[in-house]
Amino acid sequence: MSHYKSGLLLIHPAVTTTPELVENAKAQATSMNVKFVDQFLINKLNDGSINLEKAKYEIIKYLTPEAPADIQFPKKLIPVLAESLTPNGSLIGLSDIYKVDALINGFEIVNEPDYQWIRKDFSKLNQTVSIPLKNKKTSSTKSQSGNNKLPTFKKASGTTTKLPSFKKASNAELPILKKTEDFQSPSFKMAAEPKVYKVVDDLIEDSDDDFSSDSSKAQYFDQVDVEDDSIEEEDLIDENDSGKPMITMITCGKSKTKKKKACKDCTCGMREQEEKEINDVRSQQEKVVKFTEDELTEIDFTIDGKKVGGCGSCSLGDAFRCSGCPYLGLPAFKPGQPINLDSISDDL
Amino acid sequence: MSPSKKIVILYGSETGNAHDFATILSHRLHRLHFPHTFCSIGDYDPRDILKCKYLFIICSTTGQGELPTNVNALKCERSVTFWSFLKKKNLPSNFLNHIQTAMLGLGDSSYPKFNYGIRKLHQRIVTQLGANELFDRLEADDQAMAGSNKGTGLGVESVYFEYEKKVLNFLLKKFPNRKVNGQVIQREQLDPQIYLEPLSYLQISDRIAREDANKIKIEFQGDKSVKIGRVNTNKRITSDDHFQDVRQFKFSNVEKNSEDYEPGDTAAIYPCNTDEDVSRFLSNQSHWLEVADKPLIFTNGVPNDLKDGGLAKPMTLRNILKYHCDFMSIPRTSFFLKIWTFATDVTKMERGQEQLDDQREKLHQFATDEDMQDLYDYCNRPRRSILEVLEDFLSIKLPWKYVLDYLPIIKPRYYSISSGPGDPDIELTVAVVKYKTILRKIRKGICTSYIASLQEGEQIRYKLQNNHIIKNDFLHKPIILVGPGVGLAPLLSVVKADVFKDTRLFFGCRYKDKDYIYKDILEDWARAGKIVLYTSFSRDTENSPGVKYVQDYLWKLGEEITDLVVNKEAVFFLCGSSGKMPIQVRLTFIEMLKKWGNFSNEETAKRYLKEMEKSDRYIQETW
Repeated sequence: MSHYKSGLLLIHPAVTTTPELVENAKAQATSMNVKFVDQFLINKLNDGSINLEKAKYEIIKYLTPEAPADIQFPKKLIPVLAESLTPNGSLIGLSDIYKVDALINGFEIVNEPDYQWIRKDFSKLNQTVSIPLKNKKTSSTKSQSGNNKLPTFKKASGTTTKLPSFKKASNAELPILKKTEDFQSPSFKMAAEPKVYKVVDDLIEDSDDDFSSDSSKAQYFDQVDVEDDSIEEEDLIDENDSGKPMITMITCGKSKTKKKKACKDCTCGMREQEEKEINDVRSQQEKVVKFTEDELTEIDFTIDGKKVGGCGSCSLGDAFRCSGCPYLGLPAFKPGQPINLDSISDDL
Repeated sequence: MSPSKKIVILYGSETGNAHDFATILSHRLHRLHFPHTFCSIGDYDPRDILKCKYLFIICSTTGQGELPTNVNALKCERSVTFWSFLKKKNLPSNFLNHIQTAMLGLGDSSYPKFNYGIRKLHQRIVTQLGANELFDRLEADDQAMAGSNKGTGLGVESVYFEYEKKVLNFLLKKFPNRKVNGQVIQREQLDPQIYLEPLSYLQISDRIAREDANKIKIEFQGDKSVKIGRVNTNKRITSDDHFQDVRQFKFSNVEKNSEDYEPGDTAAIYPCNTDEDVSRFLSNQSHWLEVADKPLIFTNGVPNDLKDGGLAKPMTLRNILKYHCDFMSIPRTSFFLKIWTFATDVTKMERGQEQLDDQREKLHQFATDEDMQDLYDYCNRPRRSILEVLEDFLSIKLPWKYVLDYLPIIKPRYYSISSGPGDPDIELTVAVVKYKTILRKIRKGICTSYIASLQEGEQIRYKLQNNHIIKNDFLHKPIILVGPGVGLAPLLSVVKADVFKDTRLFFGCRYKDKDYIYKDILEDWARAGKIVLYTSFSRDTENSPGVKYVQDYLWKLGEEITDLVVNKEAVFFLCGSSGKMPIQVRLTFIEMLKKWGNFSNEETAKRYLKEMEKSDRYIQETW
């Protein structure tokens, strides 16, 4: 009774609107002697903002409103989840749709007592599975050991890769910009006062002008108001229809995933994540800026030995700093000159 | 006022997102020389719809699936708004068949009534009144999980730009040419470096300035409905060691000794910037200093946006910055779109021309990048203010005469009234907004920190808004009041009004001895039998055994409360911050109806709740 199995609760974002589902899952877990030590939204895992520890959980439960046959789950996370399970740990909530991925990643699919995936024991895995996997060289190297998988996992979600991807994206934009707006001067050089243009708009009358509003419509503006002659706004919505929203796929645009802001009453762990990020940045700031009583108004950022980021853009302000810059959150400053901290001193 | 045009862009905006996207669209159309009318749905004169041929609507959703406030805001010179006119039953089904329309909804699928705003407009304007759609309406989702961008991981921005592309494609195909001095020429986009001159802007007045503009008392002109109040009380009512500063704030009209309002009404407070922040702005744009206190006039009348709340007189740059320009707010895309071209001051660049070019490029990217991630990370995430952006980009040298075109206007903030009906001492309950980001300076809400700074005797501008939340039919019936935290504010007014027979009040907060606001009054009322009080303290189990939140207490008393609702026609009034709380209470309420209200299933219970909402017997005020 004293030992709980440590569990991870993964949540499909649509579940956040029905918190009782989460409560049910937790209650159910407790009755099975499982304690969810972590709870994450699946998209946080998918965009790499959360990394899982290896072999941490005995049970992973994926909570989604989708029917088992309709589950859409990012395949790349299946090896990640496998990694984070202890040997013989189980993954509950995925279905046979991902059967192949389950097998590739060393899971055994069990139907009794409940449908679940069991992570095969490491030592056994190499012996028992080695023969069938010989046929497929690629998958055998993938699933033979967790160590082999690690590099791919890192590539997908490690924080170190953020920087290059950011650079890539912004480089790619420039040519597009130039292409579409050729008439613009090639660089942004423009030191003179910008020109100002007074709006001169014109619309040449179009051919279907005859299809204009019929004069009889004007009468509706002159009618005397009678009480209660308006439709009910609520009646404009057909509740039964709202399940199928107007969907238009947008195919343009880039693939950067947007970082979300935590909701006011955040329960998914995002708030904690945000606070951690803020505290991390602030402790970085403490390293480069040591504030003492006399330094409250003026700080010299150029003192030897202070940490400087690798990009050389530290002094230019947050818009130009790299993501790991120790000066993030501090104002732009002039290299070699003391910076006035009046404007940022109320929190010191 | 210019006459209404054939092309019309309307927006319904609560927090400013829809307004900003509409501003970008309007800006694009101007740059392509398309004449058009651009205003909020509430500001649009219903008669002008007869002249309109191309109607573009961008609208968000607020509260529980409602249209934003500026859809229904009524201008005093009109008796009916565009939307209330369109809702008239007697309009024929071809009433809008002369119109071609395209709609964009901004929503958030974590709310159950996702994009109801645009769906209501669509249902009425297209389906019922016969407007023709240029293309299917688009619905953007802030969660990027459902709606228009399902599964693509793309945010609201990409849906907007898709909308913009479709609109521009249509218009350019329809009107490829324009006339200049009688000559037909091809329509081409204006050079992006050119600034579009606003219709009316500032210039120095010819009149000789009276001695010192600073010493003259500030007055606000042009809005007859704005009132002046005197601050009587401004007291912190949470304990000093509690993280949140909540104020009991009382004021009264300086002129008259009576006010007309009811429980559920709100007061609009007009905040201003601090003198320190104004000085900081002026020293950043140091070329403004020499004209900062000179009297100014508009070249072509006062812009519409400045009429609400009155215009500060004497009109000087300093006063305009203090009372009208929200430069401590987070910049939106349209700000960068307008100002990037003013990054010209090479003298402030350490690394000269190269650095200037870098700054121009970065600002231009913020203005035009369709994937707004970098802008979001730079501004929205750390809640960086416009002033802080200017301090980072020292090359920006702004022309003061257009200041009201490129800086956002300070808007009033609304607070529920806590005092009893008609009490001349108007009382508000205000939680002071403060939070931390990676920026070292604490982030503050402009209006709540303005209120927190006010001393007794100081004057404020305000308006009262009658919301008619409580219907006369329900007076003298039982009422169930649910208001955790500052949600208590309007409920106090209900109790003081003394118009209900049996009042049950559910209050909740974190700790009994930290943020249990108005404890003495509530407990006095409970002792006197004026209310039955149920408190829950979510982080204080010792004082709140067995119940954590208000909904837990509701459930605990489920049978009794359900009886009041179902058999005694009790009113249910729920207030507080939006988010999970109102959703949880609602779910609890439905479960109560199912268990104790004789409703056989979920469907009938939900239908009953819907009926209650329709007749305003289940009232929800969340913010």
